[in-house]
Parts: sequence; structure tokens; C-alpha cells
Amino acid sequence: MKRKFGLLLIALFCSVATFGQQTTDLRINELLIKNDSNMVDEYGRHVPWVEIFNTAYNSVNIAGCYLTDDTTGLWNGSGKTRWYRIPQTDPKTLMPQRTSLVFFLDNSPLYGTFHANFDPRNSKNHYVALINSNGRVLIDIMEYPDSLLNSTQTYGCYVDGVIEKDKDGKEISGRGFLEYFTPGSVNKVATGASKAEHLIESDPYGIGMALISISVVFVALILIYCMLKIFGAISRRAEQKAKETVAQTTQPTAATEASKPATEEAISGEVVAAIAVALNMDLDSYHDEESEIITIDMPSAHYSPWSQKHLVMKTVQRRNRR
Amino acid sequence: MLEFFKEGLIQFFNYSGFGNCSYGHLIMIVFGLIFIALGIIKEYEPLLLVPIGFGIILGNIPFTDGLQVGIYENGAVLNYLYFGVLKGVYPPLIFLGIGAMTDFSALISNPKLILIGAAAQFGIFAAYAIALLLGFSPTEAGAIGIIGGADGPTAIFISSKLAPSLMGAIAISAYSYMALVPVIQPPIMRLLTNPKERLIRMRPPRAVSQREKILFPLLCILLTAFLVPTGLPLLGMLFFGNLLKESGVTKRLATTASGTLIDIVTILIGLTVGCSTQATNFLKLDSILIFGLGALSFVIATASGVLFVKFFNLFLKEGNKINPLIGNAGVSAVPDSARVSYVEGMKYDKTNYLLMHAMGPNVAGVIGSAVAAGILLSFLY
Repeated sequence: MKRKFGLLLIALFCSVATFGQQTTDLRINELLIKNDSNMVDEYGRHVPWVEIFNTAYNSVNIAGCYLTDDTTGLWNGSGKTRWYRIPQTDPKTLMPQRTSLVFFLDNSPLYGTFHANFDPRNSKNHYVALINSNGRVLIDIMEYPDSLLNSTQTYGCYVDGVIEKDKDGKEISGRGFLEYFTPGSVNKVATGASKAEHLIESDPYGIGMALISISVVFVALILIYCMLKIFGAISRRAEQKAKETVAQTTQPTAATEASKPATEEAISGEVVAAIAVALNMDLDSYHDEESEIITIDMPSAHYSPWSQKHLVMKTVQRRNRR
Repeated sequence: MLEFFKEGLIQFFNYSGFGNCSYGHLIMIVFGLIFIALGIIKEYEPLLLVPIGFGIILGNIPFTDGLQVGIYENGAVLNYLYFGVLKGVYPPLIFLGIGAMTDFSALISNPKLILIGAAAQFGIFAAYAIALLLGFSPTEAGAIGIIGGADGPTAIFISSKLAPSLMGAIAISAYSYMALVPVIQPPIMRLLTNPKERLIRMRPPRAVSQREKILFPLLCILLTAFLVPTGLPLLGMLFFGNLLKESGVTKRLATTASGTLIDIVTILIGLTVGCSTQATNFLKLDSILIFGLGALSFVIATASGVLFVKFFNLFLKEGNKINPLIGNAGVSAVPDSARVSYVEGMKYDKTNYLLMHAMGPNVAGVIGSAVAAGILLSFLY
């Protein structure tokens, strides 16, 4: 029973995690209502459009979700007529990571997957909402000012999918009138100079950057130096303490003291190195593992089809001579 | 029938390498052969020069476009292998292997040597400033400057981010100068030191405990990565590799990282970098300038290391002084530049073993160049 309950919990957790990675990552990114000379649909018409952006770093399928400008009936999941359910049969609804999809809000759902069944130009509500496939969860809602109805500018996120909300989930900032029309592409258009171009303006000869950089390299390595210094001191102190403890526990006798040839300090590094080399050379003359083995056993070769002559050579049929 | 036969032969000839050959291809193939000869006959960095040289030959076999065989053609096998260079995958893996091979004991026992590794990075930034003067863009200048770090993987990593179009020339230049360390550095070292300085004997390094060796990579990654997070791929892999080696409980991983893995990546990086030097992309004035700037940055880096030691010695007590012949080891060509210090030191005093001392600034140079690379990225990327 406990095991079943555990499995159920895991399944529940997985489903929540999966849900968390999917449609909840979608954002209403850009909206244009007064489309006089902007993007046209497949039929060459200028109609309002809305752009949905996938903020996740994985693919999200928007199929089954609802687009609407009237959220009435949201909490009981019973959608009204102005809810457009995105068809589940169109593979184009799968949104790769950090991409966007454009829906035409032209009240012409029979024109294709990306044509909603409402038109914001004849709506009393000034918002567009995206609702989850169960009809109960509001994924995102974008309210727009009245002036958008008569404006040729788009309204949406300054930076794709980025909206700041307060602790109650109320939107504080992140959306407004946008400078450029960017249906199906990023809202933040890079028009300014790059980082490197800015740098060359302020430091044309690279001397400033060279000085800053070499200083940073020095700071980084000085930090390591200080760390090693401190660490070395601590380590030496610990070593000293350990030696003292050992010396206290094993008091040397007069005989051992006399037989001791010299103190550790008296042996120079070169002598230690020479002793080490001599020991190494001496030990190298003894072999634990010989390169050749003398044995009375029959030598056996491991089987390999590559070494079998009868497998790799073609057998020539001999003609019987009479 | 004869006409058909003739047309077929002409068509075949046009598809063959002979039909598409140019002087550029032949010049590059000769370069490739020189690289291989240097690697095999002179034994200058054979592990790098032989794959690069063979790669140059492969990359300069002429062919008709669209056959999906060239390194720059989508779908070609070489193009898939080149992905690791373009996206900066191989250099961190090489750093993992370097970390697993490097013993930082010399540095831990004598921490002041780390500052030489910092001073030698001056070559990078001096070359950056000179490249700007010569009309290169800031990103290109940054990628060219990194040649002065004498670190092939770092040069490839930075150029793949900042100036992918110059990567072939930068990588070839960096690896060439790394191979020529024993030729380039000694004259500069002799020029900047006097006989008395060359005889300075340094104190033998103290024994370093295992605990210190284990804590070193952990503390270093925390310090350096917090300061320059852009250097994370290189520094992270370097210190991770070192932790694998020093922890004592991951011997199998350390053996793989420092053996099989680094060998595989070295083959792939050498071959594909060599292939990327197709005559049409490589034989340009920019490439010659890059080679010149690379040499200059290398000379500046070596000179800065030596001069810094001389300056540092002014503040050190007698008996604690550093032999300026190890200043050249501040560039991160491990262990070639340390070996040069040792060989030069032996020329003046047969009993003055500088190898262990030179390994300190040498490994500090690896850290320093990775930090410098991170700084270049944070400024320019």
C-alpha cells in the first residue's frame, strides 16, 4: 500500500514537473490591433495579430490551449464563444525553445490553425489571455491601453517574455508600446553598438584595458598567493604540532640518539635526491613482473576471427584431375 | 565513342584534386609537410605538430565544392569533428587532462612564484594593444593577443568565441610558437640577465602534504571563478582534473582524463585545426600579421616574466632570491618553458637544478592565461 502511495506521489510530482516545464512558460509577447500596413496573413489581409513567446529552454506544444479576449468562465473551465482552442492536430504548434508563434485575431477560425475566433477590434475587454488546455489555469494575460486600438505601434514585452510581477502576481513592469514591429522574432532589436565597439570608443589604443586586465590577473593570482601563504603556515604549524606530539610519546633513548647520524635539517635536498635516485635505480634492477615468461605450458593464442586464415582467405576450389 | 571517352576523362580530371589545385594549396601542403618534419625529425612538440601538419595536408587537398568532404561543408565528417573546435568543446577537455597531469606542489611550496605567472600575461595585453594599432577590431585583437599566453587550447577557445574567422591562423600560430619555445626563449633570457643572476641558487622547495594538494584546486576554483566567471570552462576543468589526481580516490578517472581522453581530444583538435587552414581562408595578409603579432606577444611575455623576477628580487632578502632564468616559465607552455629554464640554468652551473622551481611559474602561467582569457571574454564578448 505504502509502495503504491509512493509511486502515486512520484507520478503526481512528475506530472506537476512536466506541467511546470510546459505551457506555463508561454507569454503573450506582442500585439498589434490597428494593422494598416504591417504583417499580412496567408490571404494577404492586414488583420490584428498576437505573438506568443516560449520562454523555456525546451520545446513546448501550445496545442489545446485557449486564446481569448474574454476570460469569463475561466475558473469552472467552461469556455465561452470567444475562446479559441488551438488545434491539436497541427505539428506547427510545437514551439522550439525561445521561439514565438503569431496568431491572427481575425475571427476567422476556418482560415487555419493560426486564425482565432475573435477580433479585439470589436471587443469590450482590453486584454488578450492565454488559458491552459484544461480551461482553468490562466497562463498569461496582457492588458493593453485603449489607445492601442487606434495606434499603429505594437504593444508587448520590451524583452521577450520578461514581465515583472509583485508578490500578488500583479504585473508591475515589462510591457509597453514597442518601437519596432517584430512578429515572429525577438522584440529587443539590437541597434546600439556592441560591447567591443563601446570599448574601442572609450579606449582606442587598448592601454586602459591592458592595465585593467593585467591588474585583475595580478589580483587573482595574489589572492591565490595569500591563500597558499596562509594555508602553508597553518599546515607547517600542524606538522610541527604532530611532530612534537610524536616526540613526547616516544622519548628517545640514549642509544638511539647516539646512533642517529644527523638531524633532518643537516641533510640537504641534493643528498635526499641522490639517495632517492640510488634507491630507484637499485629497486629497478629487481623485477616483479618479467617481460618474458619461461614456462613448460603449451603456448596458446587467443582466438580472433581476424587471425584465422580460413576465414579471411578465399578457398580456391581445386579441379579434380583425372 | 572516342569523344565520350575524352569527355569522361576531362570530367573526371575536373573532379580530381589535380583539376582544382592552386598554388595556395601547394604552399599549404608544403607547410603541412614542414610541420610533420619538425615534429618527427626535430621532435618539437610531435604530439601537436604531427596531427596539425597532417590536418593541413588534409585540409588543402583540392576538391569540387558540394561533395560534403571539406571541413567547412555542412554534413562532412570533418565538419562534425570541427564542431568541437568551433563551439569550444575540446579546449576545456584538454584542460581537464592538463589538470589531471599537473603537480602543483612547486607552486604550493613556494607561492611567490605564482606572481611570475601573472607578469608573463603582460604579453597578451601588449599584443592586444598593438593589434588594435594595426587595424584589427577589438575582438580580433583580443583573440590574437591570447597567443602570448602560449596556450594552444586557450587560444582556440578564445578565438572560437571572439574571432572564428581567424581561428585557423591563431591556433597554428599559438601551437607553432609553443613548439618553438626552446628556440625563441633562450636568447631573450640571456639578453635580459647577467652572469651573476644566472647563478642564483634557490632554496629547495618544502614537502607538500596531501591535504594541501587536495585543498588547492578547491580553493583556487572558488577564488578565480568568482573573480572571473567567464574563465569557468577552462579553470573549472583544470582544477577538476587536478582534484581527480590529488584526491587519491578517483585514480581511474584521473588516468582516463590524463591519458586516453586527452589523447583523443589532442588528435581531434590537432587534425581539425590543421584542416581549418584551407589555402583560400588562410593565405591572407591577416595571417602573416597574426604570425608576426604572435611572435611579438610571445617575446613580450617571456621578457616580462624575466624582468619581473629581476624587479621582484629587489625586495627579496639574500638567500630568498629567485633565479631570473625561471621568469620565462611564466608563459603556460607546460613543461617546455620550464625545461628551457632548466637547460639554460645548467649551462652556467651544472649543479643548479632549476626544473622544480620553474614548474611553479609554469603552472601559474596556465592559471594566469585562463584568467586572462576570462577577462578578455568579459570585456569583448
